[in-house]
Amino acid sequence: MSSSDLYNTKTAFFLSAYQTLINRALPDSSSPDYIPTLVYQARAHIALNDPAGAISLLPPNSENVALKAVSALARYVSATESSEQEPILEELRDLAVEIEGDDVEGTEHDKLTVRVIAGTAFARAGEIEEALETLGSETEDLEAVAVIVQIYLSINRPDRAKKEFERAKNWAEDDVLLQLIESSIGLVAARDGYSNANSFYTEQLANPSLSSTHILTARGVTRILRNEIPAAKSDLEESLERQKGGDAETLAACVVAAGIDAKKSNEADELWTRLSTEHPSHPLVVDVEQKSRLFDELCSNFPVPPLAVAA
Amino acid sequence: MSVMLTKFESKSNRVKGLAFHPTQPLLAAALHNGSIQLWNYRMGVLVDRFEEHEGPVRGVNFHPSRALLATGGDDYKIKVWDIRPQNRRCLFTLHGHLDFVRTVQFHHEMPWIISASDDQTIRIWNSTSRNCIAILTGHSHYVMSAYFHPKDDLVVSASVDQTVRVWDISGLRKGSPNTSTGPGNFESFDTFSTVKYILEGHDRGVNYAMFHPTLPLIVSAADDRTIKIWRMSETKAWEVDSCRGHFNNVSTALFHPKHELIVSCGEDKTVRVWDLAKRTAIQTFRRENDRFWVLASHPNLNLFAAGHDSGLIVFKLERERPAFAVHQDSLYYIRDKYVRSYDFNTGADLGLLSVRKFGSVYVPPRTLSFNPAERAVLVTISSDNGLYELTSLPQQAQGEMKDSSVDGKRGAGQSAIFVSRNRFAVLQKATQFIEIGDLANTVVKKIKPPVQTNEIFYGGTASLILSSTSTVVLYDIQQQKTLAEINSPPVKYVVWSNDGSLVALMSKHTITIANRTFTEHSLIHETIRIKSGAWDDSGVFIYSTLNHIKYCLPQGDHGVICTLDNPVYLTRVKGKTVHCLDRSGRPRTITFDPTEYRFKLALLKNNYEEMLYIIRTSTLLGQRFPEIALHFVQDTNTRFELALECGNLDVAMETAKTIDRPECWDRLAQQALKQGNHKIVEKAYQQTKNFDKLSFLYLATGSTDKLAKMQKIADARGDPMSRFHNALYAGDIEGRIAILREVGLNPLAYLTAKTSGLDDLALQILETVGMTEADVDDVPAFGTSILKPPPVINSTADQNWPVVSTGQNFFDQALANGSLETGIEPAYVNGDAAAGASSALDAWAKDEEVQDDLDPEEGGWELDADAGAAQVTEEVEEDATPDEDLPGSTPGISETEHWVRNSPLAPDHVAAGSFETAMQLLNRQLGIVNFVDLKPLFLSTYRSSHTYLTPVASLPPLQLHIRRNPTETSMSRTLPVVVRSLASVRTELGEGFRLVTGNKLAEARDVFRSVLRSLLLVPLASDDEARTWRELVTTSREYLLGVSIELERRRVAEEEPDNVSRNLELAAYFTECKLQPPQVLLALRSAITVFSKANNQFDAARYARRLLALNPDAKVVAMASFFFARQRIAAGERNPRNAVELSFDPYTPFEICGATFTPVYKGSPAAYCPYTNQAYLPEFKGKLDPLTQLSEIGAAASGLPAPW
Repeated sequence: MSSSDLYNTKTAFFLSAYQTLINRALPDSSSPDYIPTLVYQARAHIALNDPAGAISLLPPNSENVALKAVSALARYVSATESSEQEPILEELRDLAVEIEGDDVEGTEHDKLTVRVIAGTAFARAGEIEEALETLGSETEDLEAVAVIVQIYLSINRPDRAKKEFERAKNWAEDDVLLQLIESSIGLVAARDGYSNANSFYTEQLANPSLSSTHILTARGVTRILRNEIPAAKSDLEESLERQKGGDAETLAACVVAAGIDAKKSNEADELWTRLSTEHPSHPLVVDVEQKSRLFDELCSNFPVPPLAVAA
Repeated sequence: MSVMLTKFESKSNRVKGLAFHPTQPLLAAALHNGSIQLWNYRMGVLVDRFEEHEGPVRGVNFHPSRALLATGGDDYKIKVWDIRPQNRRCLFTLHGHLDFVRTVQFHHEMPWIISASDDQTIRIWNSTSRNCIAILTGHSHYVMSAYFHPKDDLVVSASVDQTVRVWDISGLRKGSPNTSTGPGNFESFDTFSTVKYILEGHDRGVNYAMFHPTLPLIVSAADDRTIKIWRMSETKAWEVDSCRGHFNNVSTALFHPKHELIVSCGEDKTVRVWDLAKRTAIQTFRRENDRFWVLASHPNLNLFAAGHDSGLIVFKLERERPAFAVHQDSLYYIRDKYVRSYDFNTGADLGLLSVRKFGSVYVPPRTLSFNPAERAVLVTISSDNGLYELTSLPQQAQGEMKDSSVDGKRGAGQSAIFVSRNRFAVLQKATQFIEIGDLANTVVKKIKPPVQTNEIFYGGTASLILSSTSTVVLYDIQQQKTLAEINSPPVKYVVWSNDGSLVALMSKHTITIANRTFTEHSLIHETIRIKSGAWDDSGVFIYSTLNHIKYCLPQGDHGVICTLDNPVYLTRVKGKTVHCLDRSGRPRTITFDPTEYRFKLALLKNNYEEMLYIIRTSTLLGQRFPEIALHFVQDTNTRFELALECGNLDVAMETAKTIDRPECWDRLAQQALKQGNHKIVEKAYQQTKNFDKLSFLYLATGSTDKLAKMQKIADARGDPMSRFHNALYAGDIEGRIAILREVGLNPLAYLTAKTSGLDDLALQILETVGMTEADVDDVPAFGTSILKPPPVINSTADQNWPVVSTGQNFFDQALANGSLETGIEPAYVNGDAAAGASSALDAWAKDEEVQDDLDPEEGGWELDADAGAAQVTEEVEEDATPDEDLPGSTPGISETEHWVRNSPLAPDHVAAGSFETAMQLLNRQLGIVNFVDLKPLFLSTYRSSHTYLTPVASLPPLQLHIRRNPTETSMSRTLPVVVRSLASVRTELGEGFRLVTGNKLAEARDVFRSVLRSLLLVPLASDDEARTWRELVTTSREYLLGVSIELERRRVAEEEPDNVSRNLELAAYFTECKLQPPQVLLALRSAITVFSKANNQFDAARYARRLLALNPDAKVVAMASFFFARQRIAAGERNPRNAVELSFDPYTPFEICGATFTPVYKGSPAAYCPYTNQAYLPEFKGKLDPLTQLSEIGAAASGLPAPW
């Protein structure tokens, strides 16, 4: 088992307690935990959509493959043009090949991290096949499995996701991440009325050594899926309150919950306005805007006759 | 039995006799030194002491129903005591025995006392006449004990002559032969009592013998170190068996009042427990130095007392605390070795599982942990050095109860609890290991706890709470590390709040309330032993001690809620109800009044709304509440605030004095001003030296003398402006002039004098400045000034009147507001409608929820699944099982595609994002052509049908699709969530009704249009829903039509005032719309008004009749309308003519064209709106429906299909 600090760091990362993670002190640079902790902190910055923070954290000119990969991911996320992104993907491809050799700097764990990060970047770029290949079909790294599973879920292949999960269960029982994977699958495949995800998030909420608003949001989302709208709203509102602002995900879920069987239509609309101005790139915003354009186009399919009025 | 639970111990001289009070927690102990102690064993207090016997006291007994105590001692006397504290004394003494008295006992119903003595006799005394009524002779040595049978007329005695005798005393009951017999005349009544059986078998003297409470058994204890059990029949008695084990004289042996047990004690310094059926020893409790002399059992409770050389102990033989666990609305608990479930809501109490074969039969299970995910229980028992058993509960109660031994998985351990869905933890106390097991009972992990652990509790996910002797530790199992540690006496029970944010750690005399990370905590001390606790919904901890139920607020404030006769074990608190298990393990509820702590909590949080609610609903506050509120508040500032809120000026004044800050006085003054209490205003102004306001106040109250004083004060302050002010207010012209002169404003002074007619003074002023009147003749002449303060009509200077009643305070206002929130509606201004009726009409409008009396037009509602929709489903080819063979990275079928396939209803297609098919469906089914206005609905529906979550960092979030049937497993039946429901649309419709009643017709029209748009996006799931849907469409249509007609009428009335006939027609059409009674009433009254104004008295009368035919109920509105309508009918009868001819025939059935607002008579051609079924003149076919602006009039449409 890895050391307690690293364990905490990992758990915090998996359960999306990014701010907690960032606020933790780095171990001594000679410690074996130093590189992994640094990588996780950098990844937490990236997850919080602050790639600059990640880059500033990383020591320049490090030869460590994991650090190089993370830095690439940070740059990839901050790049907006595909022309900027493509060379970074190339860089990651090279790294993924490099780690097959023996003469690179970094532990086995670092090499696995490279795969996970490269896979993440490829998946973001929509290169599904390449991502899956990089992560490896026989991998025994649970983080890689988490990425693989989510990729499968995002392309509506819960069957493959389940297979990966069953495979991972053989060697990684009891890991928090495995439970998270299971609950994600449950959310997409809607098994047992979402009870597994619900109890997983409820359990994690009761975990005294960690507190993450993401978990609260996740349970709120689960409760929406379970059609427990008032309970969902209370989770989401608490999450918003505790975040003192609200991330896109919580806000988006609030919009959704507020709209379901709403007594007051304006509540959802106010939230929506807030979401679409604060987080214009959230998939919900993008998607709905696209649907809005679609609607306008479709309207023209139906010619509107003149209004019937008394002569 | 592994424990003898000592409840109380006292040190004293040797204890020879003991007796429990039958109802109160009192124990009488007779001491060798001659005193009798009365202990409250629950509180551990010596209540009283009786010291009149000379020499040792051996026998002691309470009267079963009265506050009496009988004692017998070595002074040969029997004394009867009144033990009531106010009356405590020896009532009388019974003389007669000639040697030591060994035991005394009251009869359970007769006024008899029985005594056993070393004079070899047993005597029965009448405690009323205080005479000896029987002497039982026959024993040939000391009689060591003599007791009545609990029901029959029998006595059992034990003697040093080695016999136990059973006596028949039935003769005693028949007569009372003793009345004429004086003391010493024993022989005469000896015949009333005879020896029935002599039980021989003991080899030494017998010390004690008693009857079994229900069975025909006798137990005896003797110096031959044995306990013997005897059985009796009607005719004989014989020895059954002996219990051997004591290695010295046995002093007492008792039958357990409830269980098949015998408890004995002896001079070998032990208390022993025996199985009555098997006559085997179960348990031995040993004492170092003290020989046991006497044992007593409580008549009803599981409680014993034993007297020894240096005092007494009170003990229980088994834990009474039932093992239980609470999950949501269910309590799982163990009674009589059965796991049962109890539903808090319904009270259903079911046996689920037998645990009889688990551990020792004599020991009840100690704890129970419930796992809702697996519906499994983990039970522990303290016998055999600690065992646990993991069993699943049957889904419901079965005919034959499942026994846990069938599939139970057992192991050794002192404490065992579930830590997650699939893991449980077991404490091995001796080796100090915590084992984590899975559901198959295999140990997956072994943990060495960081402290000496005596008990483990659930500590949140993957965490444990470890209780050690001086600390309690929050421990993470996965990381195997201590998260936090709090100093505390040994924690015995742990209770988590409902939301898991707080935890109560209970030890014997303390409760620690901590948050879930143990970072914050507070401690409460109790002198009385703490038994149990449960969290209230509002985060208040309710706990029980031996004799109270108490509350504890988060900040540590605690207090008593109610007193308990017997301890209870709280399981849950919900509102005013405490659910608990009593000491026999039966569920009970106790209702209490949470007002006090709720109020305190509300005060702490400054939550006036909550306080308001409490005041509104509470029964406690029959009195005026401010007293109560103020009573609770200690803090002066809060008190002041509250007093202001309540309008309690006296308290506010008092607290303001203590606080004494300007802003307080200002606020007090404001509030007092509002209430008209100018005395307090005055004081407040004085305090803050607010002279200007003070002066004005004196002016307002007409307090001229005070104004004069103010002038003086101003003078003293050297403030001429203020002096002038006050002079002005007081009407003191000389004063004003004097001030003006003083400050050198002579011209003004002169003019003032002049205009006030004070010519002399004016001259004087001129003189002082050395001028004459001639110098100022260029000054224009002013008329005499009439400027003066208004005269005082009613002097209120000395009265505090009128004062607004202090009842008019925050709470009352809020109360009033609460009821008015939805109540105030603008009046419907329709002609000369009596204003008084409008508010009553509003009341009617509220009944709009009652839709039943509507008679919507039924029809055009084709429920058969027809071609239009079927086509859509056919278009998508059916391939439900595509997944397995596809290569890894090929995308699968999205859930939204399934939704589209599974439903022929537009709303579901919208939710799936398939707007194109949704539009096609609406077009085909309902003829909708104009979609522009539907855009917000489409988008909001789509928006609320999907949600996003990012489980893995930096990957795009997963889109999750919300189903309305979350438990559905087959993809071919999943459907999207209901974003718009019939209920929500109905609410919107109700809003429209209110707007109509409130005469906001244009807004109402918008609402009805919106309702009709919303209805297009309501997914339907049954015929019932479809019917309701159609009713809602029809109702909305009728209202939309009616409102449009009325708007048109108003336009005509305004823009074409000469077009009276059109005006009248439209008014008439409005009444034809199928509205609900309140709004029909409005339409009719509007029509009556318009028609009678136009002098169409006949028609007006017709509408008036219709209005009466509506038969409005007994409401106030009826009176007004009735009167009004009668008047019109009378006018119509006087003058049955119409001044204006109308161009429609009211006697042929007709519909109203929605475009022209003209009649479409029955039988004439018409075009219909395919959605609402609104009629139109045929020439409008192919045009856009002007009412809804959604559909094409006369378009072919299939109606909605039935997908269910």
